[in-house]
Amino acid sequence: MIAKHALKRPAFRLTRLQLWLFLLATLVVAGVIAGSVVFARGLVVTNLNDLVPWGLWITIDLSSIALSAGAFLLCAAVYLLGLKQYQPVARTATFIGLIGYSMAVLCLLLDIGRPDRFWHALVYWNTHSVLWEVTMCVTLYFAVLALETAPILGQAAWMQRRLPRMAGLLGKAHTLAPYLAVVGLGLSLLHQSSLGATYGVLKARPIWYRPDLSVLFIVSAMAAGPALTVLASTLSARLTRRAHVDDRLLERLSFFIGWVLVGYLYFRFWDAFAMTYTYEPGRTEGLNLITQGPLSFNFWIVEILLGAVIPIVILLNARLRRNPLLRMLALALVVAGVVAYRWDTNLAGQMVVMSYLPQDISARYTTYFPSLIEFVSGAGIVAYGLLAFTLGVRFLNVVDHRRAQHHEAQPEAEPTLALSN
Amino acid sequence: MGTKTFKRRSFLKTAGIGVVAVAGLRMNGRAFSGPAPQGDSSHQWAMVIDQAKCTGCGYCTLACRAHNDVPQSISWNRVIHAGKVKDKDVFLARPCMQCEHAPCVEVCPVGASYYRPDGIVMMDYGKCIGCRYCLVACPYGGRAFNWEEFTGPNPAVPTWGQPEVPRRPRGVVEKCSFCYQRIDRGLAIGLKPGVDEEATPACVVACPVGARKFGDLNDPESEVSKLLADHSYYRLREDLGTGPRVYYLPAREEVSG
Repeated sequence: MIAKHALKRPAFRLTRLQLWLFLLATLVVAGVIAGSVVFARGLVVTNLNDLVPWGLWITIDLSSIALSAGAFLLCAAVYLLGLKQYQPVARTATFIGLIGYSMAVLCLLLDIGRPDRFWHALVYWNTHSVLWEVTMCVTLYFAVLALETAPILGQAAWMQRRLPRMAGLLGKAHTLAPYLAVVGLGLSLLHQSSLGATYGVLKARPIWYRPDLSVLFIVSAMAAGPALTVLASTLSARLTRRAHVDDRLLERLSFFIGWVLVGYLYFRFWDAFAMTYTYEPGRTEGLNLITQGPLSFNFWIVEILLGAVIPIVILLNARLRRNPLLRMLALALVVAGVVAYRWDTNLAGQMVVMSYLPQDISARYTTYFPSLIEFVSGAGIVAYGLLAFTLGVRFLNVVDHRRAQHHEAQPEAEPTLALSN
Repeated sequence: MGTKTFKRRSFLKTAGIGVVAVAGLRMNGRAFSGPAPQGDSSHQWAMVIDQAKCTGCGYCTLACRAHNDVPQSISWNRVIHAGKVKDKDVFLARPCMQCEHAPCVEVCPVGASYYRPDGIVMMDYGKCIGCRYCLVACPYGGRAFNWEEFTGPNPAVPTWGQPEVPRRPRGVVEKCSFCYQRIDRGLAIGLKPGVDEEATPACVVACPVGARKFGDLNDPESEVSKLLADHSYYRLREDLGTGPRVYYLPAREEVSG
């Protein structure tokens, strides 16, 4: 098809895919250049400071992790609950998870002051630190995701042709899937929740200091992770013939996401509502930032209205949900809502500066807006993620729901733990 | 069934090898980290700052900059205007609180912040990865990140003293250490911190009005022990339960309430 067109049209005419790849590659190159500036000149090129030391990159890091949550949920559904029909969706989710976790690692490499010492986190242990636990979870779950995605590489036609032995070896990792699903479930639940706890354990920041953050982080990730998986699958199937989806699976998953959002909104409501009672230094100011101050548009419109209420209406109403465009819109809004939630949470605690003077335990406000370098390098990381997924769809068939039938014919293809029987 | 058992066993074996590898790396890690300044638990160092005497001159900040080679953009010791008592300005000098339950030590993922047995909260600049979690966790704003390399001469040197510790590299967090280097060297040659100037934190020595006192809480005869026994005092944000080792004598007695 493409070759025929190439004969008729001028040589410089690009296909839609090539244009898309070109755009992403440009962003990645720009990101690499911006990242090099960060490594060469240090974090002084950011708009971060001692009052707001965590900014845009940490938001992208947290969002990438949250959006990777589809992997553990779907693997648990397939291998632990025995919902085998979702196996091809789990395959896509796992691939997205691997990309998401690698994006998070890239963000952290940019963000830490001494990227050359990244390995210290594995060697020097402070087991009291939530961030130590987060580091362990990232590392171990990254390994789990790599093993879970190994069969995808093993199944690739070009891999089987060029490196048949390697392909066979990678394919064998599939037999580990049920065990990996158990390990992955544990690590992911821990990791997602402890990212909330990273903020939640800090007594110095009253707007963060509450157990709810762990719960809200995991529940919001349980909505956003599958939402991105379903959105990416649907979009791929509409844009390329390389992707094949079973819309019934995606529709039922969307219905599930709708109910998770109801749970999320419920927790969110009581969490925020309880904080409105009586003045608490730092906490009240933080809440004001979110509900009336500079973060209020993000909170009311992006997080609550667009990110939760409207998607709930669309995803729980069968007629609206079956409209593919409306469903994609709802899923995209869920993703945007959770990114906004991570951004607002991260900033609300830092933009409030607590006084420690004895007569005056009050709070002042500071501001933060990312620098151009932060934006360009952050965009480069996001573009890398999109590029990796696009290439996965094109060369590794990561969105292919027809595979389910192929595999059911083979007896060893779908190992499950005994508890699913 | 046989193959399945084998697979499970080999899976466990692989997992086991992984655990052993990580543990091995950890033990190695201990070997990497050089000897860190430790101190001695027979002393419990503390500072007392008398707000009735402090004039807000800022000599303490400058002496600290020189002796610890701190860049202009960072203050380990900050002097803040804290209000007025009967037309007289009152100041609050804020070094690191050297908390007994320090949030920074608890949150550091690599253990670069640690307690010395003598109570000083130390930084291992060779371990710090620059994640800045401690900066976010400290309720006193006592920590600063090296956003850029500190190059060139230190303007506070030599007027306010000579550097006694190495300059910190770009990308790590730094903070006041109660001038541990002066304490350790002083003790080694038989001096008494808080009494002999060479063994006492630079800010205490530099204070022209004697508003800062330093000493050992384990020694009932030390000046800090006596001051705390005879005066009403307070510590910053005691509600947080951090247990600071910096005590303030208020400019008026009621403040301590």
